[in-house]
Amino acid sequence: MGNETPFATPAQEKPVPWYGYASLLFAILFFSGLFATMQGWLQAFDYTTLLGKYGTVASESGAATTFIGQSGTGARQGFIFGLSLAPCVMLALGIVEVITHLQGLRAAQKMLTPLLRPLLGIPGIAGLALISSLQSTDAGAIMMRELRDTDMLTDRERLIFAAFQFSADGTITNYLGTGSALFVMMNVPILMPLIVIFVFKFVGANLIRIYLKRYTEEALKG
Amino acid sequence: MNQSLIDVFVEGAKKGLHINLTSMLPNLVMAFVLIQFLKITGVLTLLSKVFAPFMGIFGLPGEGIMVLFSAWLSMGGGVGAAASLFADGTLDARHISILIPAIFLMGAQAQYMGRCLGTANIPSKFYPPLLLISIVNALLAMLVMRFLA
Repeated sequence: MGNETPFATPAQEKPVPWYGYASLLFAILFFSGLFATMQGWLQAFDYTTLLGKYGTVASESGAATTFIGQSGTGARQGFIFGLSLAPCVMLALGIVEVITHLQGLRAAQKMLTPLLRPLLGIPGIAGLALISSLQSTDAGAIMMRELRDTDMLTDRERLIFAAFQFSADGTITNYLGTGSALFVMMNVPILMPLIVIFVFKFVGANLIRIYLKRYTEEALKG
Repeated sequence: MNQSLIDVFVEGAKKGLHINLTSMLPNLVMAFVLIQFLKITGVLTLLSKVFAPFMGIFGLPGEGIMVLFSAWLSMGGGVGAAASLFADGTLDARHISILIPAIFLMGAQAQYMGRCLGTANIPSKFYPPLLLISIVNALLAMLVMRFLA
């Protein structure tokens, strides 16, 4: 394979347009819940506001409930509850797709690339693989392998990167997709647990960085 | 940009619907059935008693351990277990907020050993520290969330 690589060095990359940064900022604000409590048109830029609510129906006891009903259990309750979540995940991933299309994730990659060496001890060229791993476990893992196969990462750097990816892999898709089931049940803004997740992805990668200090490069080959 | 933003959004929403129907729904049905089974057999009460002191460190009732066990197998399972325990009043909004980062930080490790570590050719002798670090991440995140939620 030699040193051919599908990964562009920072100098070869096309610049990120202004709307990339704007869309990234929009995404952060949209999921932050900051606009949820505001009055007037700003509310329209909030995830939970746009998600809306189901209409109410009367329950046996006369109290209002949604079509999910009250006191359901087992497989039937799991199914109807799961079905009620379709709009949460459709809206979240629809917005993520738009942000990706407007190069919001490339903007994040651009800002993150110079930070990878100090924060994780891996080269900036891993930025694309890192951002991809936030969207897809499989894409992130394949790119990590490519980076090692083309000698862009050492065995040590690959292990550090693996620790970062492995914990909360596919972060954005999984949190905003599957996790959306719990958003209405939380007492904190949607973005807060996501920030905590990111912080600990970095913490975990640095824990393995410390752990690997006792290994020589040779011993890391497996 | 030859695709309109509306088309792009609809494409993303389709992906969302696919995830909902093929991943979330089956996982939620599994988790709700599992919790129901454990409840009827009394195992959930037993587990909650055994793990109450440990889960108490994070400000959670003993039943919260079921969310972590299920999450380790699949993120959807963890989410489902949490939702099921919320529905019957065992967990409240604060508990869910404490648990949610942990569900993902230690989530689906059983699957991701193959999909992430296997694909990236990570030597198997490093699987145990990588697994342990994810669990440490999850536990530390719950401690942090205890003070934020």
